[in-house]
Amino acid sequence: MKAFTYQRVSTPAEAAQAAYRTPNARFIAGGTNLLDLMKLEIETPAHLIDVNGLKLDQIEPLPDGGLRVGALMRNTDLAADMRIRRDYAVLARALLAGASTQLRNRATTAGNLLQRTRCVYFYDTNMPCNKRKPGSGCSAIGGFTRQHAVVGSSDACIATHPSDMAVAMRVLDAEVETVKPDGAGRVIPIADFHRLPGSTPHIEHVLEPGELIVSVKLPKPTGGQHFYRKVRDRASYAFALVSVAAIIQPNGTGRVALGGVAHKPWRVEAAEQQMPQGAKAVADQLLAGARPTHDNEFKIPLVQRTLASVMAEAKKGA
Amino acid sequence: MNDGANVTTIEGLGTPDKLHAIQQAFVKHDGYQCGYCTPGQICSAVAVLDEIQQGKPSHVTADLTAKPLLSVDEIRERMSGNICRCGAYSNIIDAITEVAGGKV
Repeated sequence: MKAFTYQRVSTPAEAAQAAYRTPNARFIAGGTNLLDLMKLEIETPAHLIDVNGLKLDQIEPLPDGGLRVGALMRNTDLAADMRIRRDYAVLARALLAGASTQLRNRATTAGNLLQRTRCVYFYDTNMPCNKRKPGSGCSAIGGFTRQHAVVGSSDACIATHPSDMAVAMRVLDAEVETVKPDGAGRVIPIADFHRLPGSTPHIEHVLEPGELIVSVKLPKPTGGQHFYRKVRDRASYAFALVSVAAIIQPNGTGRVALGGVAHKPWRVEAAEQQMPQGAKAVADQLLAGARPTHDNEFKIPLVQRTLASVMAEAKKGA
Repeated sequence: MNDGANVTTIEGLGTPDKLHAIQQAFVKHDGYQCGYCTPGQICSAVAVLDEIQQGKPSHVTADLTAKPLLSVDEIRERMSGNICRCGAYSNIIDAITEVAGGKV
């Protein structure tokens, strides 16, 4: 690990200013991703700004019936909150499907959104990777790609976003609230928060230099049946090959987002119009233009089958 | 990052003269082979039973709004972050289940 300096901060604006002013600074909260990446020297920050003291670890009810989730709320605490379990079950389920208890006890809401890909070539510093070293090339393309993206990928990067939580937030139409170095706030719809790789896969989200996530806003509850179905190589403590987050109303309409298939949580609102026609119609439109590899083309039928299974369960429970 | 936190290690759970109930059960059920992962397994087991007691849900909790069951499935899922390369899992589950008061 490279040597670094460290500071604590007491307000979000102070954190954002410090991150903006200090060259090569990173925020640290739970550290469940960043510390690993630092040990492997995939991330080599010169300065860490510890945001754990910012008291952003609560849920606040909003006048419109929604909830404001603090950026530092630990994944375990968020999943255990009765309001989340009752009204946003897709989010509780997604959180509980991710990582292990030890990691969830430390990992935060904002850190989960900002976690980096688990592409094995990103982790192998001996291999070219456009995400780790822009312009060096993509070792995954033509490599071992069972875990990789099938849709929204580019010739520069076929990595996936590893989060389960973010997929649920996408289906819930959550909004990310931030503070910028000048103290101004900003609200970013989750759909616009993560970027597709394009020719700049090292830029993974739309946050500006120094900008700090302070909370995530959940709109008022949608009702309906909530599902988070994660398909993976082990029954626990493994990243998704494919995951389906869905909210299905008694009349069969609903919302669907996918994990494990793209560089960001994958949702195509127009595809949801096809729900009365069945899972195949929805999956076809969700994955239109997909460019799978030989190793991961199984994800296309797997999405369809997983969605079909969720829709069948919804029908039974309606 | 952990300013003000209290840390309990295996040494804080029991002593050779006075073992914690989970430690006792690991001995009884042979819940280890090489012993490398054992302190972590035992600390996690204590926390798992406490978390179930507190009503925190897990991936295998069928009804998210109900109190989770003290079942083998719950314990397995909640212990999944602790890897045992010797593969003592079935004995580890027996040990934890006994302390939990459930059937094996």
